[in-house]
Amino acid sequence: MLKMVGVETYYGKVKALHGVSLNVNEGQLVTILGANGAGKTTILKTISGLVEPECGTIHFDNKRIDNKNPEEIVAMGISHVPEWRRIFPELTVYENLLMGGFLIKNKDLLQERMEESFQHFPILKKRQTQIAGTMSGGEQQMLAISRALMLKPKLLLLDEPSLGLSPLLVQDIFNTIKELHKSGVTILLVEQNVNHALKIADYGYVLTTGKIFLSGTYEELLDEEKVREQYLGEGKYVRRSKLWSGR
Amino acid sequence: MTELITGLLQESISGIALGCIYALIALGFTLIYKATEVVNFAQGELMMVGAYVNFFFVTTFISSAGEPTLWTFIVALAGSIIFALAFGWLLDLIINRPMKDEPIFSIIMATISLSIILRALVAIIAGPMSLLPISPFGEGVFSFGGIVISILDTFIIGSAVILVILFYYFFNKTRWGVAMQATSEDPIAAQLMGIPVNRVNSLVWIFSALVATISGILLAPKLSLLDTTMGFLGLKAFPAAVLGGFGSIAGAIVGGVIMGVIETISIGTLSFHYVWIKEINDIIVWIVLIAVLMIKPDGLFGVEKVKKV
Repeated sequence: MLKMVGVETYYGKVKALHGVSLNVNEGQLVTILGANGAGKTTILKTISGLVEPECGTIHFDNKRIDNKNPEEIVAMGISHVPEWRRIFPELTVYENLLMGGFLIKNKDLLQERMEESFQHFPILKKRQTQIAGTMSGGEQQMLAISRALMLKPKLLLLDEPSLGLSPLLVQDIFNTIKELHKSGVTILLVEQNVNHALKIADYGYVLTTGKIFLSGTYEELLDEEKVREQYLGEGKYVRRSKLWSGR
Repeated sequence: MTELITGLLQESISGIALGCIYALIALGFTLIYKATEVVNFAQGELMMVGAYVNFFFVTTFISSAGEPTLWTFIVALAGSIIFALAFGWLLDLIINRPMKDEPIFSIIMATISLSIILRALVAIIAGPMSLLPISPFGEGVFSFGGIVISILDTFIIGSAVILVILFYYFFNKTRWGVAMQATSEDPIAAQLMGIPVNRVNSLVWIFSALVATISGILLAPKLSLLDTTMGFLGLKAFPAAVLGGFGSIAGAIVGGVIMGVIETISIGTLSFHYVWIKEINDIIVWIVLIAVLMIKPDGLFGVEKVKKV
């Protein structure tokens, strides 16, 4: 469904992605893992058109999208929930959802989608008239996700949905993502929370300094000590049993 | 004493009319500022250009049709509005869009250059002489008891109120209006919703030119003099916008009205009774501005900006 080949992206003169290739198949939940600054967010921004790749190609549903602008890409069925949610803080919850459905011209359909998201997240129905910026972080994340779902995207890009949330809410958010996935939405998830992300994902890519370093299923990746090394930063983690293997 | 009070009342109404015009100019400032964080120093000149264009239409129609009728003014107004729409669109195209990725400061400097260029262009095209704009209402007045109100003032206040209501409706109730607010809050998130941010910004400039033109059309007969320095009055709308809290639409309107009333009263009755006020009346709005900023730095309607990180 989504196919990225050899994508290189720059911020000014700084190269952020060094030839990234990845695939997301229909119905999959794919996760991109990596430390801070590895380029995870840049991958999503490149897909949704916020930054333009210098070279490489991105195809979505067999159509080339790397030369399109964000408005065209979202209209093709890719919705992006950005890092830190970025809801419109001074608009009400209702108006935020309305903006999520900006591209829907049919009023009845818009209303229908609105009702659907209220069913998904009843809390939003109660908070309809509240100014979005005054809600808690968890509620804002729910809003950001339902705002992106207003267009019924074929592919949902989620950028660190658990960022800045309490552990309890993190669990909630991951449950929500799991349910979304079950209901048939294809998801590309960027996360720092390795354990949670891998548990719900079908496939994972590990990114280090702008390159894909490893990829595989949950089992394969969990087995790779390298993942842990990359994640937990410097230093080499050695299995306890191996410490004694020299004897 | 009653003389002082009737004087004050009468001037308050005239001041409210003047203030409504300041409010409209301040509204233009605020629209662009909210959407793009650019302070458009050419707002006063947009108003001046609008007034000139309207004057041109009115005189052309009169010279071809003879005596001015109500229709003369309505058709001239329609022509001016069409001009304003095109002008705003053009300004976005030549100023805002090419400089989108430049620092805000550069765009602000560009608006200052634009203001000087517009003043010079108008002087070249229309000549350096002051013109005498024609009021559609002549010298007509209403009187209530001892208070005399000109029809023009009433018309100005009425038009301003209608415009503000229309804008309020547009901003809060229509899809494009809410999209405009969303874009000014977070242009990147707005793009991700599929909102065409470029088109929204050109809409902002078009609206801004529109309110400027209308305020110019209303202001010219009130000043009963039209020349290229009219643009400097736009600078008076600046303290009005700051007084209300820069970036707040309600604030721009209230700030504008307060400034207009203070100015009219200080020029009129008060300076008649207390001569020293006459001496300082040019700076009085600025003194009020500084006082407000010292007491309430975010303006009357401003919200303290606390960024959540």
